[in-house]
Amino acid sequence: MAFFSQTRQQGMQALLGKWRIFWPALRCQQLFAVSFNIPNSEKVSYFSFMTSSGTALPVDSKGTDVFPTKKSAEIEYEGETGWDEESKKISEEKLHFSSSEAPKKRLVSQVLSRHKFAKVQPPEKPLQAEEWNRLRENFQSPEIFEDVMFNSMVRCNSPIDVAKSLLTYVAKSDGDIRYNLLIKYLALCVQQQKTAEICDVYDIMKIRFKILESGAYNLLIRGLSNSDQWRMALTLLEEVKKIMTPSRTNYESCIKAASRHQEMNLACELYHEMLAKDLVPTLDVLQAFFDFSRGMKDAELKKELFGILLYLRENQIHPHRTFMRSIKLWFESIPGENWRGHLTNIKDSGQCPVCYHQLEDSDLTEREYNNLRERIITDVIHGSDTFRKTSPQEFEAFQTFVEDRLPFDIVIDGLNVSHIKPRKMQCENLFHAVNCLAKENLRLLVLGRKHMLINSSNWKQEIMKEMQNKADFFFAENISEDDAFLLYATLRSGKHCKFVTRDFLRDHKACLSDSLTRHLFRKWQRGHQIVFSPSAKGKHIKFLPAFNYDCVVQTTGDTWHIPYKDTFEERYSYEVPRKWLCLKQK
Amino acid sequence: MQSVNMLLKNFVRCSAFPFAVQHGMKKDLFGLCRTLILSPCLKEGSSHNPSEKLDLDEWKKVMKSGLQEVSETVSEHEELSTLAAARETVEMWRLAGRSVPENISEDQLKTFIECPSKSSKKKYLKYLHLKELYKKNDKRKMDEKRERRLETQDKASKTDEIKRNSFTCLWANAIDKTHNWRAAQAMVFGQPLVFDMSFENDMSPREVTNTVRQIVLSEGCNRKSVDPFHIHFCNLKENSQYHREFMKYYREAWDKLLITVTDQCYTNVFPKDKIIYLTADSPKVMKTFDHDKIYIIGSMVDRSIKTGVSLAQAKRLGLETACLPLEKYLLWNTGAKNLTLDQMMRILLTLKDTGDWRKALEFVPKRKYCGFVGRSVHELKKSLSLMNTLKHGKRQEEVRKQFAKNYSKKLTQKLLELCSPALLFQKCFC
Repeated sequence: MAFFSQTRQQGMQALLGKWRIFWPALRCQQLFAVSFNIPNSEKVSYFSFMTSSGTALPVDSKGTDVFPTKKSAEIEYEGETGWDEESKKISEEKLHFSSSEAPKKRLVSQVLSRHKFAKVQPPEKPLQAEEWNRLRENFQSPEIFEDVMFNSMVRCNSPIDVAKSLLTYVAKSDGDIRYNLLIKYLALCVQQQKTAEICDVYDIMKIRFKILESGAYNLLIRGLSNSDQWRMALTLLEEVKKIMTPSRTNYESCIKAASRHQEMNLACELYHEMLAKDLVPTLDVLQAFFDFSRGMKDAELKKELFGILLYLRENQIHPHRTFMRSIKLWFESIPGENWRGHLTNIKDSGQCPVCYHQLEDSDLTEREYNNLRERIITDVIHGSDTFRKTSPQEFEAFQTFVEDRLPFDIVIDGLNVSHIKPRKMQCENLFHAVNCLAKENLRLLVLGRKHMLINSSNWKQEIMKEMQNKADFFFAENISEDDAFLLYATLRSGKHCKFVTRDFLRDHKACLSDSLTRHLFRKWQRGHQIVFSPSAKGKHIKFLPAFNYDCVVQTTGDTWHIPYKDTFEERYSYEVPRKWLCLKQK
Repeated sequence: MQSVNMLLKNFVRCSAFPFAVQHGMKKDLFGLCRTLILSPCLKEGSSHNPSEKLDLDEWKKVMKSGLQEVSETVSEHEELSTLAAARETVEMWRLAGRSVPENISEDQLKTFIECPSKSSKKKYLKYLHLKELYKKNDKRKMDEKRERRLETQDKASKTDEIKRNSFTCLWANAIDKTHNWRAAQAMVFGQPLVFDMSFENDMSPREVTNTVRQIVLSEGCNRKSVDPFHIHFCNLKENSQYHREFMKYYREAWDKLLITVTDQCYTNVFPKDKIIYLTADSPKVMKTFDHDKIYIIGSMVDRSIKTGVSLAQAKRLGLETACLPLEKYLLWNTGAKNLTLDQMMRILLTLKDTGDWRKALEFVPKRKYCGFVGRSVHELKKSLSLMNTLKHGKRQEEVRKQFAKNYSKKLTQKLLELCSPALLFQKCFC
């Protein structure tokens, strides 16, 4: 644009500014090039926009440099819509959380999809048929013109009249409107809360088609549940049940609608139905219960809400900050009960600084212990084939070895510990750790592999010998898994026994087949794993003690302690929040 | 005039339409509206505002009017059977523009219904959809080919020349014969190569079909090679899934295949000490191809990566194992190190003929590695590690010793004098 005069350029800028589509071109051509082909997966990081190597396609010069003479920008469009393009969540200002999803990712994906179809600018006023026709003919691939146009209308949240005029044009020229266009129109109506229109589209669809599919139902239920026609959403939900299992978002919409209109019994009914269908409720649903039953005096309802809190406890779900706030407000609003909530941090001792209540310890019951041990043996060690991780002879030998020397106080993953400090010899690291732990006259077991017994630069045999006076050693085959032995030995030794490793044991947890046992495993791991502090400088190795309290929602009747996630960041399953909500009755 | 126009229009919109929409549009009312809107006094309206004339809800009328008869047939709400409902749902998804097949058979529908989760249903439909697309494309290509052939034949028939040729045109047949001779020779004198068919239970049906396809490809490669292996299918049970799939591919040729099929285990067929089980999980790396060993390939496709299944099998039977030296020769880039069975076959055939690892590993998919490890790169790596050790000044003695082994003394001394890494770099390249 160098040959333009200054004023001309400004005019251009203004003109381009008006057509939002060309902003990227002005800002940075690369960015625009990238926006052609963005994979639909949510795993792409936002920064892939900034890189030009991986995802950038050759820039279509037509698209970026040539200014349009008409209203519609003609830029290539690949006729691929994702599976859920129509029923995709339209970006509401609210985030949906669930225990399994990372909200951050969702944000990113919204940013991505915003760039995905930045190709056509819908008109601002309804157009006549001729005008639509002209636009269509000028579009690169006329056969998908309507789809692209509708997609961009949904994206730009165009006025509904524009969409109607396009529908009218299509209806006039074809005598029929395709189902996917209807769905896109429906999405636009839902986005703008046009209840009457939603009902109309539904009527038309019902006349035209025998049954609808999940995308349309999702949209209809969501659209209607936010309006005063919310009872219709419930009938729709019944209709969905006839042909498939409703999704959890369907239930979410209905439950929210019911609780918004103070129909708490109905909401509870739906909630139980949902649980019976093995659907995992979103945290939003649970939050809605607390939000809308504030200040109510209803014993049944109170029981329900306590049930929800216990559900959080059983599934080791930590509510996020806003949800926690809803819980707090609900408690404080119970008439005549005088609950007070405080936010607090709980230190390693496990005592709540507000009410001096000692939190539950993370010990399992005897039955849980035995259950977990059995499951570790069947699922983790044997699995589908004992030979995959060890061999039957080896495991038997290990079992007799452990039985002879019971009980241990600490079981050490020798190889893992030996890598603490990469600058040092591996056997030195291990030696330090063993010395450090052996001071307190504890019975130690170190698990290793046979290659540690061969003299090498990393494994000095004299040091190994010295260590063997202080602790029991068991050496597995070089191709065996030592972690599984570690778990077994620790569990076999009993409640007091702890183990030392930096491993998070995620893959072993994944071997356990049902979620209940997985939760038990995590709970046990939190209470029994000793890790060394990462910033251990100098000669001595520092160990962080295991948690001695359990990080779950807990109650004593007149107090509740609820751990919550402070930020929206994704936590790993082995991380636990340190922030708590302490509620107590005065 | 205009104001009257507006009024009239508004009146029509506010009264007739919602009413009409609510009550399923009587046709006579329709006609009335149309005439109203298309009446000339309205048409004369403001020409500078084109949207003024638009009737925005006309599409609803179009949708409803043409469908009055249809609605009567549909509105009888009969309970759909699950199959019919599934078919309808799939059809609706197709209309909604998702990737689902146009035609779906009863069996496929049943499989679809039996899918345990929503996502598996989606995946299955997408798979069918892609399959359909491939079929269509193939058909299109075939038709084009046929047309082209007809054209050329027309041309050829015009120029009717007698070609002199000492060979009769029986190429395919003759080639097949030579291949079969070779394979027959291999059956007698060839080196055995075993496919272990004992992993059926670890695989999904689709993985089994993939496995069989790969084995068929490998068998084809083997037959066409100069010096084929004598292929054994061991642990192949009669009427197992593998067997059924093989029959699908080979049909009557199955009994004429020049390979050995047995339900025995390879440990019963061959001496144990000669067997080497090839598996990517093996701790031992294969250095050279041994002509009097019997190599075993586990015939398994693991889309969901199951580590250590074939290694477990080898451990159970107490066999020696080996993996290909991929790390040693290739700069690995991405992807799992388990290769497909036909790739394995090609690699082994090449090794058998030439013993050249570079040539053999050409068959590893190009996307998985960046290039071959050359000497220079090797040295670069070494010098890099040396540099690091020098920088941190740890265990200098050992490094010196090691280095002295690898390089001439002169160079070592020089290097140790130079403390700047950049210079060191240059030195190594010299």
